[in-house]
Amino acid sequence: MIWWILSAHVVGMCAAALLGRVSMHRGLGAAAVAPALTAAWAAQQLFVDAEPTSVGIDWVAELGIGFQFRSGPLALLLTLLVSGIGALIFVYAMGYFASDAAGSVRFPVTLLAFSTSMLGLVLADSIWTLFIFWEFTSITSFLLVGHKNTSAPVQVAARRALAITGAGGLALLAGLLILQGETGTVSLSNLPAVSGTAGAVAAVLIMCAAATKSAQVPFHVWLPGAMAAPTPVSAYLHSATMVKAGVILVALTGPSFADVTAWKTLGMTFGIVSMMWGGFIALRHTDGKLILAWGTISQLGLLITLLSIGTPKAVFAAISILFAHALFKAALFCVVGEIDVRTGTRDVRELGGLRRSMPVAFAVAVAASLSMAGVPPLLGFAAKEAAVEAVLKLDGVEQFMAAVGVFGGSVLTVAYTLRFVLLTFSGSPVIDVRPRRWAMSAPSVILSGLGLILFFWMGVSNSVVIPAAVQLNPASAEFELLRWPGLKTAFFISAAIVATGALIGWLLANRPSRAPDALGADVVDSLLDRILRGAVVVTARIQHGSLPVYLATMAFVAAVAGAILVVDVDFDKLVLWDTPIQGLLAAIILGAVLGGATVRSRLGAALTLGAVGLAMAGLFALQGAPDLALTQLLVETIVIVAFVLGLGHLTREFPAVNRSWHAIRIAVAGAGGLVVVLALAAASASPTGQPPLEDLEREAVAEGGGNNIVNVILTDVRALDTLGEVMVLATVAIGILALANLRSIAGQR
Amino acid sequence: MIAVQSSVARLGVALATPLALVIGVYLLFAGHNHPGGGFAAGLVFGCVLALHRLTAIQSNFDPSKVSAVGILIVVVTAALPLFWGDALLDQLVQSVEIPVLGKVKSGTALPFDIGVTLIVLGLVAALLDGLGVRSAPQSGDSK
Repeated sequence: MIWWILSAHVVGMCAAALLGRVSMHRGLGAAAVAPALTAAWAAQQLFVDAEPTSVGIDWVAELGIGFQFRSGPLALLLTLLVSGIGALIFVYAMGYFASDAAGSVRFPVTLLAFSTSMLGLVLADSIWTLFIFWEFTSITSFLLVGHKNTSAPVQVAARRALAITGAGGLALLAGLLILQGETGTVSLSNLPAVSGTAGAVAAVLIMCAAATKSAQVPFHVWLPGAMAAPTPVSAYLHSATMVKAGVILVALTGPSFADVTAWKTLGMTFGIVSMMWGGFIALRHTDGKLILAWGTISQLGLLITLLSIGTPKAVFAAISILFAHALFKAALFCVVGEIDVRTGTRDVRELGGLRRSMPVAFAVAVAASLSMAGVPPLLGFAAKEAAVEAVLKLDGVEQFMAAVGVFGGSVLTVAYTLRFVLLTFSGSPVIDVRPRRWAMSAPSVILSGLGLILFFWMGVSNSVVIPAAVQLNPASAEFELLRWPGLKTAFFISAAIVATGALIGWLLANRPSRAPDALGADVVDSLLDRILRGAVVVTARIQHGSLPVYLATMAFVAAVAGAILVVDVDFDKLVLWDTPIQGLLAAIILGAVLGGATVRSRLGAALTLGAVGLAMAGLFALQGAPDLALTQLLVETIVIVAFVLGLGHLTREFPAVNRSWHAIRIAVAGAGGLVVVLALAAASASPTGQPPLEDLEREAVAEGGGNNIVNVILTDVRALDTLGEVMVLATVAIGILALANLRSIAGQR
Repeated sequence: MIAVQSSVARLGVALATPLALVIGVYLLFAGHNHPGGGFAAGLVFGCVLALHRLTAIQSNFDPSKVSAVGILIVVVTAALPLFWGDALLDQLVQSVEIPVLGKVKSGTALPFDIGVTLIVLGLVAALLDGLGVRSAPQSGDSK
């Protein structure tokens, strides 16, 4: 079934590409089909509590490289989120974009490509499958952030996102390699525990990779910039799915690192700092999307913290919040996008009083915000309650740190949520509103409505969340989401959080605010610029464009590398010649070489080279290698003709060179020649057994159907080599033609 | 070109061309049992082309098409055995009686060699084009 699903997505991309040519809306509609079917499949599997199925194909089985997928409970929950929200976002995008919007092929196809990558990531059962789709999500995210690819700030933001998540991808690669080396397995569903230094290094690398993807401080700077993407992209990638990839990675590999102190310490540091800093900055921003983006950083920090703690209750709480967050954050982004489209601005200072003019959006925002703030009767309340209880079950320093992070972060969440809602919807109307678009309203109503419905229908929520948490930590089977937890400590803490947060939010909403500067983003950008400028300088030094210097460098390096062969030369085995004619030919070669090195005319030098080649052909013929001699002869002929043709473009004589460069060239050429002699002498001094001539003769006739062994070797025995070689020749031919075309194009200008 | 003015050179090349082509074809077919083969044949054809260019004898010749056909032949010959479960590049040898020539034995190595010939020829032609040999008369024509 998993193959069918992935194939359906590929077909969907083709369909979206074809229909996108007609209009943006048809492309988006075609793209929505595959995610919708996939979400239905995942829901059905969860509903009937189906046994996990595994599929896969090996590529390099010895190294564990291949595609492996498995539909475990966590994978199904994430599939439901990725594909379900994906289908809704495609519908939403129909409202967001005009039917004739630019990029009507590129956008639906790229967004579906992202959806497919994310689906592959959540279904992956092998660390390498996960890694491949991880990288795919980085690339598709880059393309989607840079959707408005003509605007310079958007380009910079897209580049920043790619650089940071790409660097995280490299860290992940290194970490996974160590993990595979330590555990000897690639299967994600039963990774053994690791420990020791190697385990700690792998833990740090993987946690850093997760932190880049899930926008944890200090790697978070790409996420606010990524808000340059169209709002459907922000709602889908940068709140509900892609930024969760890091969280998923921590969840899946976390059980292996349970004994590694660095894992928990680093994860909690990332998480708690991000929770506080993200919430704090979200309080100050005035752009609706940026408020939500910083809020996402904060929420992701909460997830990373809980998963790093790794106790059964914390894992259970993390999965619950992940589920609830995907719903309410996507809904809030949808509302901001709708406000942007219908009023023309996202700046909360210019907005206000929208509760009358946009009642549906207001209802959605209130429901989603209450869920985010953790207020009943919404799913977010039950999830947040689980997190508070998880913190209360800890002890010592760990509890103190987690309490500061989770309680403090939650207060800030309530505060920025309330401030956002008050500034946008309360007060008197100050701005004109364009008519409602149902394609935009309907998905956000569904998303936020689910937060409400799933609270009252808690059995369904539990049947989705509990198996996924049990997959990660079997001990979390005893927990469940509760509508009413009772008047326990956790409930009073939750109430205190909401009250404090509401007070702060209400106070700040009545104060004028100025958007904070983007800390850190400039640093990353200037670092990238410097690397690029440095690359230009280095490239200019190395690729200077002087052919003689290139050749001298190559010959010199070869000479140095080959000098070691001198120890292999056995002077006793060397003979002067087999027949005196070889001596004669050698004398001709030597004379031609000396002539070629001293002659001033280019044509003369070419002819002496030809003489060397012809004498070499004579040597081959003497050794009983007519095929080699024939080929050598023909190649020499062609090369000389080509020289004659090519020399027409150059001066008749070599240009004068200064004395020192001349000396260097003589030295390098001499050393290169000497090393070739040494290498040949070393090769002939240490024969390794007899050539299997008789076998070849017999097999050539019997199997290859020919008497010319050389040719049978070329076309049968080693035909794969020949195939590769002629492909190289063909590639060279294409390259030459391309260069010639470039020159003629340049000539026409 | 260097030899454009010399009608002796032009005539000589024109006369030698059929002979050289026959030698090339011989090398191609003889290659399996005697010295020769696809590579050598390609070089002979390449020499003919180079001499034509040298003496400005016009010939309509598109290097990219020749290379493309060569690649196609080589890849198809290499991949065909896969379809009936044999290994990549597996050889099929067939002997047939032909009235005049007698018993002729040949295998799938022959099409493979023909492909090699075309690729080598394409490379030589591309080299000659890259050296700007063809451009002078053609750009004059196209005006």
